[in-house]
Amino acid sequence: MDAIAVMLITQGIHGLAYGMLLFLVASGFTLIFGMMGILNIAHASFFMLAAYVAFQIMQWSGSFWLALLLAPIAIAGLGILMERLMLRRIRKFKLGKAVVLFELMLTVGIMVCIEEAVKNLWGTDPEIVNVPELLRGLIHFFGMTYPVYRIFIIGLSCSILLLLGMILFKTRLGNVVRAAVQDADMAGALGINVPLVFTLVFGLGTWLAGVAGVAAAPMLTVFPGLANQMMLDSFIVVALGGFGSLFGAFVISMLLGELTAFGIQFFPGYSTIILFGFMALVLTIRPSGLFGEKE
Amino acid sequence: MKRSFRKWLLWAVILAGLYTAPVIFGVFELNLLLGASIFALFSLSLNLLLSFTGLLSFGHAMFFAAGAYGTALVLTRLDGCSLLSAIFIGAASAVLVALVLSPLLVRVSGHTFAMLTMAFSQIMYATVMKFSHITGGNDGISGFSIPSLVIPAVGVVDMSLERNFYYFAISVMGLSTWVMWFFTRTPFGSIMVGIRDNPDRVTYLGFNVPLSKAIILGVSAGFAGVAGSVYALFQNMVSVDGVLGPLSSFTPLINCFIGGLGTFIGPVFGTGIGTILLELMSAHPEQAQLVFSLVLISVVLFLPGGAIMLYWKMTSRWIVLRNTVQTVIFKRQP
Repeated sequence: MDAIAVMLITQGIHGLAYGMLLFLVASGFTLIFGMMGILNIAHASFFMLAAYVAFQIMQWSGSFWLALLLAPIAIAGLGILMERLMLRRIRKFKLGKAVVLFELMLTVGIMVCIEEAVKNLWGTDPEIVNVPELLRGLIHFFGMTYPVYRIFIIGLSCSILLLLGMILFKTRLGNVVRAAVQDADMAGALGINVPLVFTLVFGLGTWLAGVAGVAAAPMLTVFPGLANQMMLDSFIVVALGGFGSLFGAFVISMLLGELTAFGIQFFPGYSTIILFGFMALVLTIRPSGLFGEKE
Repeated sequence: MKRSFRKWLLWAVILAGLYTAPVIFGVFELNLLLGASIFALFSLSLNLLLSFTGLLSFGHAMFFAAGAYGTALVLTRLDGCSLLSAIFIGAASAVLVALVLSPLLVRVSGHTFAMLTMAFSQIMYATVMKFSHITGGNDGISGFSIPSLVIPAVGVVDMSLERNFYYFAISVMGLSTWVMWFFTRTPFGSIMVGIRDNPDRVTYLGFNVPLSKAIILGVSAGFAGVAGSVYALFQNMVSVDGVLGPLSSFTPLINCFIGGLGTFIGPVFGTGIGTILLELMSAHPEQAQLVFSLVLISVVLFLPGGAIMLYWKMTSRWIVLRNTVQTVIFKRQP
């Protein structure tokens, strides 16, 4: 195979790995928004925090697998606390339309708080997380070499995606969640404990962000600015893919991952302008997104 | 009668305080006051959208930046540009940005408006970085001098003196604040509140909601542009991260919430509280933003009306207490 084809395929897989991580973050983001109508600005901050927690667990125990198991659970716990203690409190104020403003500002406050807390606890210097022993090294196929770890990220994301799909579309719990996403009031009238489902989905969403954070830690270095890029990208995914649409989020995540990978090579500097311009256009012409249902 | 006298007295005290500040304070406090009042004007312009029209903008910094870059560019590229026209060009460029974007922005509200404004401010950030031969990219624009203010039939005021610039800037901002306050008291101000509460009803009353929103956006952007323009003159430089950085759109929002949503003057209190807080924390600059965010979270959770609501609650308690004392101790009916 010639050098250009090898380079293109390598870039393609790079994009796929980033797209998969992005999908893990954005799927939680879009589920929470579709269900509760809360645009959680702090969602990507949970992703960043998970990377730091994983770093800390690896400092203490040295085991990546332990970090992969524990850090997302800790992040999900934080998310559930945030939903139970804070977001639920605001809903009780009976603010009418202004409740949207207060929820948005609360998540902005939490975003700033997480970022500053991380800076205070771990400092602003980037931290390096080592790739676990098992996944180190390169894989050889069709005359190409490729790091095993990125393949692992793709595999991990795919299996989580499959599991999520099975739960959402094949179980009774999934039925309940999808019903609550579509119409929370109606689901409540049918005797479903909607507040409990809300908490569950919020926990699930932050857990997904946590998994993505731990998986990203060895690939990207761990630093406080990690949240910014992820936040903007997941905004684009949710706006283009449609609020609450998992399928849309998947398609746009993959496209965005590839665009980020190839954009650096072919049109540096312009990709942000094109992307956000496209997002603005879709938001005004079709506010429900490309794959969302029309309201 | 008594009430209105008190009000005028309050204004007189505030004005006298602002105009004697250079005599009392040193350069450091003066710069702090001027910086705070620039951000107070910026927050007030955002408050026109937030409190009066009910639109939450995540990209208001783009208008501030347009004002700052407009003024900085015209001062570096154009020789002999007067001070007032530099500020006017700053405000006009912000209005221009708002008018160009308004056909897209007026159609939406709520979450979509927030995301759309954020997208536009990101586009602006990327554009400023891309056209670095004009905007200076990461380094920004610096090294322009403030032209003197020429008042016909009076004389020339040299703006390189700290004190003169302070008087000029505080007058510009005071005037802008007064115009904004007047704007909210006009019949059009009532349409703004109508759009916030029930846009359909405003349409039934025969007003053009999208056009009104575009005008409000233009006015709000114009005053943000004035704030940005004075900021550029005050700092003597404009940089991307200074005016378009990740937190620059959030800071005025946070000021509005801490000060008190739904009031005109709230953001001024919010900015004041924020500035005092950051100054108190200046020994520990790493923790300052953390404390600031915790204040925001607790205000949103426990005091949705902000600092003004706290003041009202305290005065109403005081009145209740006073009445009780009067009836119980002095046997007098309130």
